Amino acid sequence: MSDDEGRERAAEETARETPGVAEKLALYQRAGGVLTALMTALIAFLIGGLVVLASGSNPFSTYGAVFNGTGLNWLFPWVTGAARTTAGLNLQQTLLLTTPLILCGLAVAFAFRCGMFNIGGEGQYLVGSIMAVWIGSSFLKMNGPLHIVLTIVVAALAGGLYAGIAGFLKATVGAHEVITTIMLNWIAVWVGSWLFGLGGPLQSHANGAAVPVSNDIAQGAHLHVFWGDPVLQGLHVGFFVALAALVVYWLTLNRTTLGYQVRAVGFNPEAARYGGIGVARNYFRAMAIAGLFAGVAGAVDVLGWEFRLNVNDIQISNIGFIAIAVALLGRNTAVGVFFSALLFGALLNGTSTRNLDPTVFRPDLAGNLTLIIQGLVVLFVGADVLVLWVWNQRRRLRPRRAGAVGSS
Amino acid sequence: MSAPELVRVAPARLREPKAVGVGGILLGVLAFWLTLPPAKATSLLVPVLVGALAAACGAWAVFRGARRVGWGAIVAGALGAGLGIAATHSGRGNLTTTFAWSALIASMLVYSTPLTYAAIGGLWSERSGVVNIGLEGMMLTGAFFGIWGADKTGNWLLGLLIAMGAGGLLALVYGFFAIHLRTDQIVGGTAINFLALGITGYLFIDVYGSNGTPDLSVGHWLHGQSIPDIPISQHGGFFETAFGDLNLMVWIAFAVLILTHVIVFRTPLGLRLRSVGEHPRAADTVGISVFKTRYAAVTLSGMLSAMGGAYLSIGFVHSFNQNMTEGRGFIALAALIFGKWRPAGAFAAALLFGFSSALAQRLGTIPHWASYAVLFQALPYVLTLIAVAGVIGRSIPPAADGQPYTKQ
Amino acid sequence: MAETPVLELRAITKRFPGVVANDRVSLDLMPGEVHALLGENGAGKSTLMNVLYGLYHPDEGEILVKGEKLSLGSPKDAIEHGIGMVHQHFMLIPVMTVAENVVLASEPTRGRLLLDYAEAERSVRELSERFGLRVEPGARIESIGVGQQQRVEILKALYRGADILVLDEPTAVLTPQEAEDLFAVIRSLTGQGKSVIFISHKLHEVLEVADRISVLRRGKLVETIAREGATEESLARAMVGREVLLRVDKKPATPGEELLAVDDLHVVDARGIEAVRGVSLRVRAGEIVGIAGVDGNGQAELIDALSGLLHATAGRVTIAGKDVTNATAKHVLDVGLGHIPQDRQRRGLVLQFTLAENLVLHDYDAEPNSRRGWLHPRVLIARARTLLQAFDVRGGGPTTRAGALSGGNQQKVILAREIERNPRVLIAAQPTRGLDVGAIEFVHRRLIEERDEGRAILLVSLELDEILSLSDRILVMYGGRFVGEFGADATEQELGIAMIGGTVKGAAA
Repeated sequence: MSDDEGRERAAEETARETPGVAEKLALYQRAGGVLTALMTALIAFLIGGLVVLASGSNPFSTYGAVFNGTGLNWLFPWVTGAARTTAGLNLQQTLLLTTPLILCGLAVAFAFRCGMFNIGGEGQYLVGSIMAVWIGSSFLKMNGPLHIVLTIVVAALAGGLYAGIAGFLKATVGAHEVITTIMLNWIAVWVGSWLFGLGGPLQSHANGAAVPVSNDIAQGAHLHVFWGDPVLQGLHVGFFVALAALVVYWLTLNRTTLGYQVRAVGFNPEAARYGGIGVARNYFRAMAIAGLFAGVAGAVDVLGWEFRLNVNDIQISNIGFIAIAVALLGRNTAVGVFFSALLFGALLNGTSTRNLDPTVFRPDLAGNLTLIIQGLVVLFVGADVLVLWVWNQRRRLRPRRAGAVGSS
Repeated sequence: MSAPELVRVAPARLREPKAVGVGGILLGVLAFWLTLPPAKATSLLVPVLVGALAAACGAWAVFRGARRVGWGAIVAGALGAGLGIAATHSGRGNLTTTFAWSALIASMLVYSTPLTYAAIGGLWSERSGVVNIGLEGMMLTGAFFGIWGADKTGNWLLGLLIAMGAGGLLALVYGFFAIHLRTDQIVGGTAINFLALGITGYLFIDVYGSNGTPDLSVGHWLHGQSIPDIPISQHGGFFETAFGDLNLMVWIAFAVLILTHVIVFRTPLGLRLRSVGEHPRAADTVGISVFKTRYAAVTLSGMLSAMGGAYLSIGFVHSFNQNMTEGRGFIALAALIFGKWRPAGAFAAALLFGFSSALAQRLGTIPHWASYAVLFQALPYVLTLIAVAGVIGRSIPPAADGQPYTKQ
Repeated sequence: MAETPVLELRAITKRFPGVVANDRVSLDLMPGEVHALLGENGAGKSTLMNVLYGLYHPDEGEILVKGEKLSLGSPKDAIEHGIGMVHQHFMLIPVMTVAENVVLASEPTRGRLLLDYAEAERSVRELSERFGLRVEPGARIESIGVGQQQRVEILKALYRGADILVLDEPTAVLTPQEAEDLFAVIRSLTGQGKSVIFISHKLHEVLEVADRISVLRRGKLVETIAREGATEESLARAMVGREVLLRVDKKPATPGEELLAVDDLHVVDARGIEAVRGVSLRVRAGEIVGIAGVDGNGQAELIDALSGLLHATAGRVTIAGKDVTNATAKHVLDVGLGHIPQDRQRRGLVLQFTLAENLVLHDYDAEPNSRRGWLHPRVLIARARTLLQAFDVRGGGPTTRAGALSGGNQQKVILAREIERNPRVLIAAQPTRGLDVGAIEFVHRRLIEERDEGRAILLVSLELDEILSLSDRILVMYGGRFVGEFGADATEQELGIAMIGGTVKGAAA
């Protein structure tokens, strides 16, 4: 009857336990650090390089071209002249993609911190987009800024409510959020396709109603472009909304009683319940808040550069899925989500047909290469054993440095 | 001859309630069979009488304690009589309505077949405790490699085998991450979907470019590049239209379904598979290899999903385009959940979802209803959402589904 | 008894990170013998048996079965050599039938491919009759009781031809009657030539059933003795390496007003079984009321119902005169209940939270810890610093994660949190489970101090020692009811009889 019992049991349990979301959270916290995240990304790019090699291109020059395509070289002071102008344009595109990735990444991360796996970022994003198009293309005489605020708020609420369905079902009947959010994703896709499809209730009547596309949103409701040419999809102020969301995310989790509850439930629902915290209520609340983030993402995309939605947009969008990778790679922290959103935004943009140098790599293949690299990153990001392995390496080094005899 | 009389003359073993029940089920099938060619009874009396006899056997079996089989016989009798009546009715004309319904049934089978393969594939994987949301990707892989194989080898059978190999290989990769590296299975499955989308898209463009896949030759039986239809009857009657000219893969799907049920629930192999999915440590302690079982099940699930994909490309559509599965893997997942992880249930759900697709397709041809057709695509997801919410009785997965296993 | 042992363990060593669970342990087992393995929790008994069964790979040592060397780390080889194990946590599949569980991995077949269910049920029935293990082969595991499940586990081993049965803490989950049944089964097994290793930390059981007894302490084998030469006292000393009885100095209680009153409480547990069946009790200020009983007799459900974590189906609970029947956990806490939970790692603490965060688990939303929904981290840390000092928590500061502390210090953190809220009523559920002597003394002293401060304390413990040394009054719980009430001068025997449902003089229901 000693502390040895605890330690023996703990040792046995780490060897045996099956990690759910809560255990995974704990693992990340222990094995945290930037190192593991960087490593997983690195391995994915390495294998992606092999794919490039296998298809007969030079991986180094390809990745070089991809990097230039991202516009991140704009940050280097020695890039000047025309190259700098191009880099600037590319970077605007990258940040344009980073914006929704940050917001949707937060949607996944927030739910994760409450112990839930929100696969439904995509559906929540779509519902947000759909509401944004609807509100944005109605009330054409409304005052611009007011219209923007109204649109974003309604889209956020729609996303929150939509995610709230999954939260509600988990809180009341214990339905697994992964299953419900997957279902909700596809419901959003098909309902969206119906709304803007041929003969759909929100289809545009311009062009004799022959194109499955929505009405355009009001001119006044466009978000201000603060960097670049508004006509060429410059960077809009929605980017700052995303940055603000990161701060809100951090503050909510770490500085509010609500965040305290969410984290307690995420780490240990049983202890939270014992502590007087309503677990079911927090499942619903956290999911709904997660949905708010994704809904805002939909709104800023629509108001910032899409301005309309067509059926194809809805069916091929996968921002919400990439957001899963963003959140996981970013270890569900605000800073982590920012950098991994930037990474994925850059990757998406750098390999896009428009930005990749065609002499280095066939641009019509590049989009699919992006998907492959994305897939690899997601695959490696989830590999716990890798994380554990790195962590054990670190732990093995430490006692030796301290000169202690101990675990081997 | 009444049912009890029949029972009295039967040998002792056949007099057991269970045997009588089985006999009742067979009679129910007979009631329907007699109205089909070649017997082709035209009198209404035949199916009604035989069906009643079947129901009587069932009632007797229920009364004597063989409840499940007995009720099965009663249902079989009623169904057999009903269908038999429909068949004799259709034999006498009334072509327009019967044609519509029988064509709808044929169409339902066509749409539900890919779902059936993937759902059965998912069943194998999840019964072993590995959640497989990568069904979509595995199907897509099968679809591409099926047509690629058929095109390159000139033979559909080789194409099908190549598709199964590719799907199995992708599943094996997934298995390695999910089983060995203990990657979160949701994350891993998401990654597989990305990877499959990227790889098939990449190869499709690399091999076929913008021209798309070439036309496939149609041959008799083992010849030709398309999977052949099985012409049983070309007559225009109800059952002839519904079942007379179905694709070979539809019939194979039935066989796979029955085989799966028998193996999973009636053999030692199935008992071990289920034990690994319910309580891997218990299985391990009696010497069952959890890892081997899971690898085998996951690989098989990839091969089956790929068969579904291959049917789509070389059996049904006769071409390939990027992302051609369009979420069918997720519908299959929904069918699996809706069917409570049981073969018959999953098949019934696949039929239901296939029916909604068939209905959507027909609706699409009616002017004022066309736009609503797309809403039917959302139906499977809505139904599954309702199912997991517990309205139609809770759907409970295998206990260890989704939990990686660690050996000490 | 034959001369050659059926089983020999030679110098087994197994290390886990940071702890040597088995240190050169050697053991043998004769045919037809019951060899008991005795030791406290964490002494390394279960580890040793997992090594034997091939679930753990030992770092050193070897195992011989009937003179033949066993390949280590392979359950399959252990099974083939006739070793069968009944784990403390059953290895049964709830949704499958008894027969399916028994035959799993060595199924009888029909036509070589199909599983022969009839044959499976027949052999299970035959085995169960031969060894007197009553089970229903066609019943699902989830629908039968714990005692039956254990019999299924034993059948599983026998079906695989086990000659050596390892029973890991088999009585922990059983009622006294079920335990007696089990001992009868063990005798019937050894009577038919099987050998049994019986793991336990309960002295009287070991003395009742074993032929020889080996005592483990902190991973080392202390001694192996025949039953004839053993007494409870000698075994206890060998087990803990010190005198066992801990007596706590305390003044006689001076009970004041009635602070906790429970009337005819009924509670249904998670499985839908009525676990508390009409319980009434009173706890007054300045007294400790102890609830004794075998685990699983409704104590956990009673506590959960009192603290608002489980719904009471009938009855009434009042704290300091306020009705808190089926109030939320939050409300009960605010009315004045402190609760030191039974499982500090699963329930008492959020291990990933810092100590400062853990210390406000009940009060994170009250001023000055937070205002209008905003937390004040600096306040939390300052508060934590004072509390950690006051309760002598070592091994970390306010920003240390709770998981990094030792068990004793974790318990001090919980004590600090619960006591600091100045509760009228304090529930202490197994407050010293798994702690070392120093920490136990600290907790005991603190509970007495709080009693003297005028709190009403309800102590629930499975350790009779603890109940006897701390309580002013003792209630014995059995089958969801109180079956006896005793004063502080009760003897272990009196309590023991009541705990197994026997009637004693002076028992009040």
